[in-house]
Amino acid sequence: MVNVLDIKVARDLWSMRLQVLSIALLVAAGVAVFVMSVSNYQALIGAMEAHYRNERFADIFVGMTRAPLSIVDRLREINGIGIVEPRVAEPVRVIREDTNLPISGRVISLPAAGQPLLNCLHLVQGRWPDPLHPEEVIINAAYAEARAVRSGETMAVVLNGRLQGFRVVGTALSPEFIFATRAAVPLPDDRNFVVVWASEDAVASAFDMKGAFNDALMTLAPGAGPQHVLEEVDRLLAPYGGTGAYGRSDQPSHRFLKDELAEQETLSIVMPSVFFGIAAFLLNVVIGRMVEAQRGQIASLKALGFANRTIAFHYFKLVTAIALLGSAIGLVVGRWFAIGVVGSYAAFFRFPSLEAQLEPWLLVAATLVSVGAANLAAASAVYRIAMLAPAEAMRPETPPALHTFSWLQTIGSQRIPLQYVIAARTILGRPVRTLLTTVGIALAIPLILFGLYWFDAIDYMIDVSFGRIERGDAFVTFTEPVSADALYELRAIPGVLEAEVQRVVPITLRAGHRAYRTSATGLDSGSELKVLRDSALRPIAVPSDGIMLSRTIARQLDLEAGDSVTIEVLEGSRPVREVTVRRISDDILGASVTMERTALNRLMREGSVANLATFRIDPGQSERLWSRIRSMPKIEGSSVKALWFALFNETIGGMVVIGALVLSGFGMLIALGVVYNSARIALQERAWELASLRIIGLTRREVSAVIISELVVELIVAIPAGLLIGRYLIELIASARASESFQIPAVIDRSSYAIAALLVIGAAIASFITIRRRIDRLDLVAVLKTRD
Amino acid sequence: MQPLAPVFVARGLTKVYGAGDSRVLALKDVDLDIRQGEFIVLLGPSGSGKSTLLNILGGLDAPTSGTATWRDHELTGASDEQLTTYRREHVGFVFQFYNLIPSLTVEENVRLVAQIASNPMTPAEALELVGLSHRAGHFPSQLSGGEQQRVAVARAIVKRPDILLCDEPTGALDVDTGRLVLAAIAKVNAELNTTTAVITHNSAIAGMAHRVLRLSGGRIVKEEANPRRIRAEDVTW
Ligand SMILES: Nc1ncnc2c1ncn2[C@@H]1O[C@H](COP(=O)(O)OP(=O)(O)O)[C@@H](O)[C@H]1O
Ligand SMILES: [Mg+2]
Repeated sequence: MVNVLDIKVARDLWSMRLQVLSIALLVAAGVAVFVMSVSNYQALIGAMEAHYRNERFADIFVGMTRAPLSIVDRLREINGIGIVEPRVAEPVRVIREDTNLPISGRVISLPAAGQPLLNCLHLVQGRWPDPLHPEEVIINAAYAEARAVRSGETMAVVLNGRLQGFRVVGTALSPEFIFATRAAVPLPDDRNFVVVWASEDAVASAFDMKGAFNDALMTLAPGAGPQHVLEEVDRLLAPYGGTGAYGRSDQPSHRFLKDELAEQETLSIVMPSVFFGIAAFLLNVVIGRMVEAQRGQIASLKALGFANRTIAFHYFKLVTAIALLGSAIGLVVGRWFAIGVVGSYAAFFRFPSLEAQLEPWLLVAATLVSVGAANLAAASAVYRIAMLAPAEAMRPETPPALHTFSWLQTIGSQRIPLQYVIAARTILGRPVRTLLTTVGIALAIPLILFGLYWFDAIDYMIDVSFGRIERGDAFVTFTEPVSADALYELRAIPGVLEAEVQRVVPITLRAGHRAYRTSATGLDSGSELKVLRDSALRPIAVPSDGIMLSRTIARQLDLEAGDSVTIEVLEGSRPVREVTVRRISDDILGASVTMERTALNRLMREGSVANLATFRIDPGQSERLWSRIRSMPKIEGSSVKALWFALFNETIGGMVVIGALVLSGFGMLIALGVVYNSARIALQERAWELASLRIIGLTRREVSAVIISELVVELIVAIPAGLLIGRYLIELIASARASESFQIPAVIDRSSYAIAALLVIGAAIASFITIRRRIDRLDLVAVLKTRD
Repeated sequence: MQPLAPVFVARGLTKVYGAGDSRVLALKDVDLDIRQGEFIVLLGPSGSGKSTLLNILGGLDAPTSGTATWRDHELTGASDEQLTTYRREHVGFVFQFYNLIPSLTVEENVRLVAQIASNPMTPAEALELVGLSHRAGHFPSQLSGGEQQRVAVARAIVKRPDILLCDEPTGALDVDTGRLVLAAIAKVNAELNTTTAVITHNSAIAGMAHRVLRLSGGRIVKEEANPRRIRAEDVTW
């Protein structure tokens, strides 16, 4: 025979179906966000690890001027070194018919055998070059896509000053160019930077490197620590102009990737976990009240002789059914979104394969959390009611002994319509319940803000980066330092409105045993096309001597203002100097080392030279301007803000927008669930009272006013509180998650606050409408028969 | 003082609950006239259709077929708004479970109705009538059951209703308190000439009425006028 209580479970679920559905959707939203985000983050990590493993990403990297291949064996003998792969890597320029923009790149030699031993290529398209055809090359897929280069196309490349024609036979991904970044470019600029893998013969002969190499990749032997190996490599290569061996953490693409992953971690792990936690709490609140509303039934069951355990088990089934329904919806939807969102990553994270993962533990954890939170709430509510004597519990909960709050009697002058007096006293007479509902609604708001915040953060960063810090429209880099007088030449080009120069030098900073590889930028004081700013966006003057370090670097090197630090320059005569840290700056635009240009020139023992020029241009004359610039001597590459900006929107922008939309969408769903449930339960608890009001002749409108004005008051408190909590949580997350290359500021636009508030108000209005409909349909006669 | 004109006219009232096997005929073809100022008692076993009849007269429920009118108000087929207006302007209810609003004081519970009525007495006057002036500032939870029911009576009469409908007003009360409540109802009927219908399954109360209607199985099976009414104080059960 079917257990009667089980029939009750089914009936309860059915009769409360809208409420059950809204609670299930609340669970589903929390689970979906959590599952989607965590599985996407795992997908990224998994894809990175697989790429590094399959394409054998090196552990140690080193460049030098020129070393004979015979040195390779000596490198291999170093204790702790595994594989050594020598190669030739040199800067190149590419000339294209369809653009006047100077395009820079890097040519890397490929062994005759094809795949190198380390930093292998993952062929995306085409084939490997034929060893008999040294003009055949592979290029990086990002550039090929950005510039629509097809296999078979020829490519005009300037190697060591000589123009040479290559034929592209394939495109590839490489673990060292997941992000093809260059110094001075905050994000990879795939349209203007290309990696060309060409045969050893072709590269060696162009750069006079027969029997020699200038770049080496190495792995560490299992169990070996890097420190000793780095030192040995540096000692061995010093006579050959070694620029210092470094590990993955200083490798530009890897460093950038790590920062991006840290940012994704915020978006994908931290926020969704907080999100899920809040959702679980809200579930707790909603379920608790749902069970409490069944007080009379619980008491009757008890009076009939059902044991507390049996009753508790009954609610366990009811609540578990709801939580499981929600989890199931959440898992399916989360999985579905995960696939879509991971798709949006592919434009930015260039991994050979990137697929949404769904690990069983995630599934189990998400389900356990929701079932657990729901049952915790149900259990404590059942317990509270079961503790009462059945007779007492069967009486409708004597609402707060109002007379003990004698001050409540003062609410209600003769002029306030009494339905508002009822509302006011209910709110104040049950402070705990009111607080819980209010906190519930308030906590739904940060969930919406979490999503909206990312739009604001992106807008802010764009505004700050391109409106206030990097104020030029474009910049060009030079193959070697040029006299700062080149500025006059640039300014003379028609269409150049303003121009400034910078000196950018690759360096390693050393403090004690700590080192940080980066580049130092020399800025002219009073420069206006690049304006350094503190976190309040006030302009900062470049110190006239010594250096300015951004906080993340200072922290890694354990430096403070006033300390001295060693700069090892990695180009030219490689001077090593002690300088004083003059100022620690906030890194709004990522980690940076800045000096006054003349101070940097002095440190380099060079004249007044520069190797980067930034300028503002007249858009009408840009084509002619670029053709003039391209024909200037020693021009290496360029970057145009507008193009870069478009790329940013396509990649990071698209990715964040999708993530943010999903997050705020689910946040809204939760807000709706919480508001609806608060309203619904308030109605359920008060049906008898409301029907009584209707019977004595109050209209539907007057009766609705009681419940709705209670909710309105809760909303009036909850919305500002929720906005504040949201802001606080975001500040907390942002400051805890500040990463190196991109610090995400806790900026929330007013419009986001407004949107979050309006969405909750919208949810409230939708709930009011359903409440009103239920009040309209209140069965007055049925209510008279029972007092439950 | 025998009242005159019929104010309530019900013809062929039938109420069916449910359908198919679970079909219940709560009222079967009931005809009824009630005159202005009349005090009616409805008697009958549980389930005989008393509440159903009273609820239809009070505009809380609609019959399945038949007509009911109060003066020029057509109660059958009226919209919810019309019925609300009817209740609001003309009907006072008293139920077994007092139905007081717990968050309002005694005085406010009464004022709640006064505030929406067109020609109410003051809440103080209404409380005076039921002898509860001294408890005006208390919350319902501070009163005994009988006192709460007298508040309910005060609330029902404060608007000077044309009709007072009471469904087992003493059902939850002991004899002494029950008498006080009945006395209050009788007083209203007498002093305000309010047409009054009281449901009870206690035939002792019937002596108070002008006329007693006995229901059974959804029909009025017996109807008798009391030549001599007893006072509430003399009711025993
Ligand atoms: N909502 C309902 N659904 C089904 N049957 C009902 C409903 N309300 C009342 N009844 C039935 O109608 C009959 C008359 O009920 P009621 O008027 O409440 O009786 P009384 O008040 O005389 O005890 C009873 O048999 C009762 O079971
Ligand atoms: Mg009845």
